[in-house]
Amino acid sequence: MAKPDSLGQFEQLVLTAILTLREDAYGVTIHSKVQELARPKAVSLGAIYVTLDRLEDKGLVASWMSDPTPERGGRAKRCYRLEALGERALQESAVTAKRIWDVIAEVWGKEWAKQWGKRWGKEAG
Amino acid sequence: MYSGPSKTAEAIVAVFVPPACREEVLGDLHERYSSAGQYGLDALRTIPLVIVSRIRRTADPQVLLMQALALYASFLGAAWLKDRAFLSEPWGLVRLAIPAGMAMLGLILEDAYAKPGRRSQLSVARGPVLGLGLALASQGMFRISNPDLAVPNWIAAYGCAISLLLSSAVRMLFPPATDRLQGANVPADWLKQSGGSLGNPEGSIGVVKGVAAIVAVVILLLILLIAYQAWKG
Repeated sequence: MAKPDSLGQFEQLVLTAILTLREDAYGVTIHSKVQELARPKAVSLGAIYVTLDRLEDKGLVASWMSDPTPERGGRAKRCYRLEALGERALQESAVTAKRIWDVIAEVWGKEWAKQWGKRWGKEAG
Repeated sequence: MYSGPSKTAEAIVAVFVPPACREEVLGDLHERYSSAGQYGLDALRTIPLVIVSRIRRTADPQVLLMQALALYASFLGAAWLKDRAFLSEPWGLVRLAIPAGMAMLGLILEDAYAKPGRRSQLSVARGPVLGLGLALASQGMFRISNPDLAVPNWIAAYGCAISLLLSSAVRMLFPPATDRLQGANVPADWLKQSGGSLGNPEGSIGVVKGVAAIVAVVILLLILLIAYQAWKG
């Protein structure tokens, strides 16, 4: 079985966006999702295209053209979905991130981890 | 009421977006439209990255190296044939690299802006012709603005003729990624690695390209050595 390449942070964000958007993952929706995940950093639409092309070249995502819609001036969308390799790469990244989080929480203390947990809860809520 | 960019604005943006991704990029920009200013800014920020991404997908570094060698060797050969003294002039060798560099730029852009799918054998020469057009245009501009940077007319003409042949030959041997058969959803990297066309044994084109690239580097070094000796002597 092919081993997925390790992912950069921006690639992880784009893959997470595609995962959450499911059937509705295309340029505009992926961009708004990534912007939401990457806040407060600003993300350009061009950077999303570059990353999507790279992920497709690596075989982590696949794309297809949808039917044209009037709100897009009669133009089609390029929709994306995660491939099995992409899902595995994202899982590996999540496991690594969890390991990093556990080590940091251990070193800096449980109180600190709780505080951060609360802050994240507020941001998400 | 219609809320979207004007037809003129869309047509201008469409010219700059490579055809392979024009449909989705124009559609996305249309969907995000809120005002003419926002549309223009969005297009300005998006298009350069789209072009860069397309170049990354269509350009093959090994083939580009061979093309660069073929183009530079053509202009060097033309200088050797027509005006050997030019090679010993200050910055003579660097000045020869300007038309070669412009021709390379033309080739890269032609590949990036090519429509995906099979192209005829004749259209393989379109890239070199466009590149050499750019090379000649740059020489014309230098002649007006800074004649010290331009190469003599005969060298430019002979260099263009030789490089048209050499560059077209390299493109016929190693067709650009846009010329290869594309299966549905086959990642471009896999096509590049497998050689792309169905008739080739897997990876054999890659080996040939690797060897050709090494030979290209060796020839380039030899040319530079000979040119250096000519310049010294």
